Amino acid sequence: MRRSSLVLRILVIGYVGALLALPLGFVFQQAFSHGWAQLWAALHDHAMDLAIILTAKVAILAVPLNVLFGVGASLWIVRHPSKVSRVLDVVIDVPLALSPIIVGLVLELAYAQNGWFGSAFAAMGLRVMFSYPAIVLASVFVSLPLVSRQVIPLLREIGDHQEQTAATLGARPTRIFFTITLRSIAWAAAYGVTLTLARVIGEYGAVLIVSGNIALITQTLTLNIGANFESFNSYQGFVGALLLALVSVLVLTVIGVSRHRLERKRHGSFV
Amino acid sequence: MAVSYSGVTKSFRGRLVLDGISDVVNEGELTALLGPSGSGKSTLLKIIAGLTPLDSGRVSLAGKDVTNTPARDRHIGFCFQDYAPFRHLSLRENIAYGLKVQHVARAQRREQVDELLRLVRLEDYADQYPHQLSGGQRQRMALARALAIKPDVLLLDEPFAALDAQVRAELRRWVRSLQQELGITTILVTHDQVEAMEIADRLVILNEGRIEQAGRPPFVYDHPATEFVASFLGPITSLGGISYRPHELELVGISDAAETLEVREVVRLGFEVRVILTNAEGSTTWVQLTHDQVKQINPRVGQRVGVRVRSTIATPAATGAEPATPRETSHHEGSH
Amino acid sequence: MRAHEDPRTYLAKGVALGYVSLLVLIPMAALLNNAFSHGLGAFWDAATSTESLDAMKLTVTCSLFAAAFNAVAGTATAYVLVRDRFPGRGVLNAIIDLPFALPTVVAGVTFYTLYGPHSPFHVNITGTWVGITVAIMFVTLPFSVRAVQPVLESLTVDAEDAAATLGASSARVFRTVTLPAILPSLLTGTGLAFARALGEYGSVVFISNNLPYRSEVSSSYVYSLVSQGNDPGAAAVALFLLVGALAVLIASNVVARRLALRRG
Repeated sequence: MRRSSLVLRILVIGYVGALLALPLGFVFQQAFSHGWAQLWAALHDHAMDLAIILTAKVAILAVPLNVLFGVGASLWIVRHPSKVSRVLDVVIDVPLALSPIIVGLVLELAYAQNGWFGSAFAAMGLRVMFSYPAIVLASVFVSLPLVSRQVIPLLREIGDHQEQTAATLGARPTRIFFTITLRSIAWAAAYGVTLTLARVIGEYGAVLIVSGNIALITQTLTLNIGANFESFNSYQGFVGALLLALVSVLVLTVIGVSRHRLERKRHGSFV
Repeated sequence: MAVSYSGVTKSFRGRLVLDGISDVVNEGELTALLGPSGSGKSTLLKIIAGLTPLDSGRVSLAGKDVTNTPARDRHIGFCFQDYAPFRHLSLRENIAYGLKVQHVARAQRREQVDELLRLVRLEDYADQYPHQLSGGQRQRMALARALAIKPDVLLLDEPFAALDAQVRAELRRWVRSLQQELGITTILVTHDQVEAMEIADRLVILNEGRIEQAGRPPFVYDHPATEFVASFLGPITSLGGISYRPHELELVGISDAAETLEVREVVRLGFEVRVILTNAEGSTTWVQLTHDQVKQINPRVGQRVGVRVRSTIATPAATGAEPATPRETSHHEGSH
Repeated sequence: MRAHEDPRTYLAKGVALGYVSLLVLIPMAALLNNAFSHGLGAFWDAATSTESLDAMKLTVTCSLFAAAFNAVAGTATAYVLVRDRFPGRGVLNAIIDLPFALPTVVAGVTFYTLYGPHSPFHVNITGTWVGITVAIMFVTLPFSVRAVQPVLESLTVDAEDAAATLGASSARVFRTVTLPAILPSLLTGTGLAFARALGEYGSVVFISNNLPYRSEVSSSYVYSLVSQGNDPGAAAVALFLLVGALAVLIASNVVARRLALRRG
C-alpha cells in the first residue's frame, strides 16, 4: 500500500477534525455543560417531548413508505426498463439537489387550502397543509431518491441470472422475489433505509414551511431546536441537538457497516 | 425425442437473431450448439428453457408442446455462463433450492443434497459460500443445483468459457462422463469447436440465426456442407484454389510435387509444427507436420519445396474449382 | 419473462407513478403555474429584483468557493483514506458522512455558537461571507470525497507505480495518471455539491444573519417571501434558482462524461 506523505495525512485529519468532528463534539460539550441534573430536566421539557413524539410519528410512516417505493421503483427501472421507467428514474432524482425551502414552497403551492390541488382536498374536508400529513409529505419528498440510488446500481451489477436460475428451478415470481432478489439487495436497502431515516428525522427547511411551525402541535424536533435558539434558549436547543447527534452517530455506524458489506459484495466476492 | 423445436424466430431490437430454425434432439445425447458470437445459440438455448420468449415457432419437451409454458414448469436444468450462484446462500443451500421449492422434507432434502455433493465431489465445501470457491467448483455447484430437481433436459450456456484452459479441458471431460452416466439429454452452447467435437454426440452449427449444418462431429468435420462450417470447425488452407485441412498436405521433393512453393516461416506450436509457404502470386498455404517429419525434411526459410496432397486423401471430384470452395468429395474410403 | 406482465405488476406500476406524481410532478407543476401567474414581466421583476440578485450573488460566491475548496480538500482526504493505513482510519472514513447524517439545523446552531457572538474562540463571523462559506463547506465535503474514493480505489496502484518506474516524480504521477482518472467523478460530485449548496438553508440561516441585501442567502430570501405571503414572488425566485442549479448539474455531468470518453 503506497503511503501518502505524513504532512498530507496531518493536514487532512486536521481539516476534517476542525470542520466535522469539532461541531459534533461541541454539541455534546454544550449539552453537558450544565451538569446531569439540568440535562435530565431539559429532556423532560414539554415542548421538546411533544416534538420528539411528532418526529417519531412522521418517521414511522415516511420511512416505510419510501422504502417500499424505492425498492419497487428500482426493480422497475432496472428489470423492466421502458420509456416510462427512464422518466421515473430522472424524476426520482429531482429532490436531490432541490433546496428544502423550495420543497416546502412547492408543496405548499400545490396543497394549501387555496392551492392548486389543495382546494380539491379542502372540498373533501381534508386539511393537508400545516398538519401531520404535510410533514410526512415533505419528509417523503426530500428522501425520495435515497433508497433507489443505492439499490439501482447494485441491481444492475448483480444482473438477473440468479432470478432466472431460480425460475428454472421451479420457483414462482413471489418466491424468487423474497428468497433471491430481496436478499441480494439487502445491504443496499439497509444503507438506503438508514439514510432515509436520518434525512426524515433531520429535515428542517421544508418542514418549517409546510408545518407552519406551530409550537406544541406541528413542531418536529428540528423545528423545536431552531425555535429554542431563536428565543435565546440555546441550552434547551443543544439538549435537543444532543439527541439528534446521538442518532447521527448511530446512523454513521450503520452506514459504515453497510458500506463495508456492500464493498465486499462488489469487490471481495468474485476474485 | 427429448427436445424439438420448429420455426423458431426471434428478433431483438429490430435485429433478426434466429431465423425460423428447426431441429430435433435425441434423448440421452449431448448436443452442442456451436457457432460464433452473435449466431443466436445462447438465445436459442434460453428459448428452449423458456427464459426468453420467441416471436414465432414451437418448442416441445418430452413430446409435450411447451411453447406457452413458463420456465418453472418446463422441468429443465439451466446453467449460466457465470454460474449465477445464489451468493447469499451456502453451497448446500444453493443445491437444495430447487428441492425446497418442491417442498421436499428436510431429512430427505439433506440426503439428496449430500448425494449430489458426492456426485460433483464437493462434499468438503458444503457449508462454504460461492465467493470462497474457485471457478471450477462454482461450475460444479451450478451443475449439482440444476440436477437436484431431476430435470428432463440439461441446458448449459457456455459452461466452461470462464475457466482457464487446464480446468476447462478436465471439467468438460468430467461433465461428459457424468452426462453419459446419468443418461440425461443435454444441450450445450459453445463457441469452442474443439470442445464441441470432443464431447458432443451431435453438432448443430449456427451462423447468423440459421443452422448451417447438423450431424455427428466426425462426419461434419469431414463433410462440411458450407464454407463457413469448414473454416469454423478447423483450420483450412488452400492449394491451387482448393481448400484442404493442413494435415492433408505434405512436403515432398520438387519433382514429385503438384506445386512448388517457397517456405516463408516455420512455426513451432508445441505438439505440431506449421510450415507457412507462399507461391509466386503471394497467396499462402500452410502445412502441418509432426516433429519427426520436420527433422527429416528440415524446411528452411527461403527454401523452395514441393507441396502436394497426401496420397491417402481421395482427390477432389472437381479439380480447378473456384478459389476456396469447400471440398466436394463424396467418397472417403480409407481417409482419416 | 412473460410471467412478470401479470396484472399485479401493472397495479404496482400505477401506484408508483401516482406516488411520484402526487409528490413531485404536481408540486413542480404548481411552481411553474404560480411563478408565471402574474405574467412573464412580473416573474422577471421578482426574479431579478435587487434583493434577489444580491442574495444570489452572495449564495453563488460562497457556494462556488466552498465547493471548489472542498474539491481539492476532498480529493486529498480521499487520497489519504485510500492509500494510507493508520489507526483511526475507520473513524475518519465514517465521520466523512456526518453532514449526511446530522440535521442541518444542528450544524447551523453549532456553527453560530462556535463562531458567533458567544464564540469560545472569540471570533465573530456572523453575517459575513466567511461564516456562510464555512457552513457550506461542512455540508459539501462528503460529496467530493465519496465521488473520488471509489475511483482511487479501483485505480490500481500499478498505474501509478508504472509511471514512477518511468522516472516520474510523485507530483507528476498525480498530475498525469491520477488526476485524469478522478476528474470526471470529481466534476460530477462537485457539481452536485454546488447545486446542493445553492439551496442550503438550515446550516446557513443562523450564522448568516439574514440582513437583506447584505448577508441574506437565496433560500432565506425565498423563505422571507413565503412568510410575507408573496407566493408568486417566492415561486419566481425559486424557479430561477432551480433552473440555475439544474444548469450547473447538467453542465458538470456533460463535461464529466466528455472527459471520461476521451480517456477511453
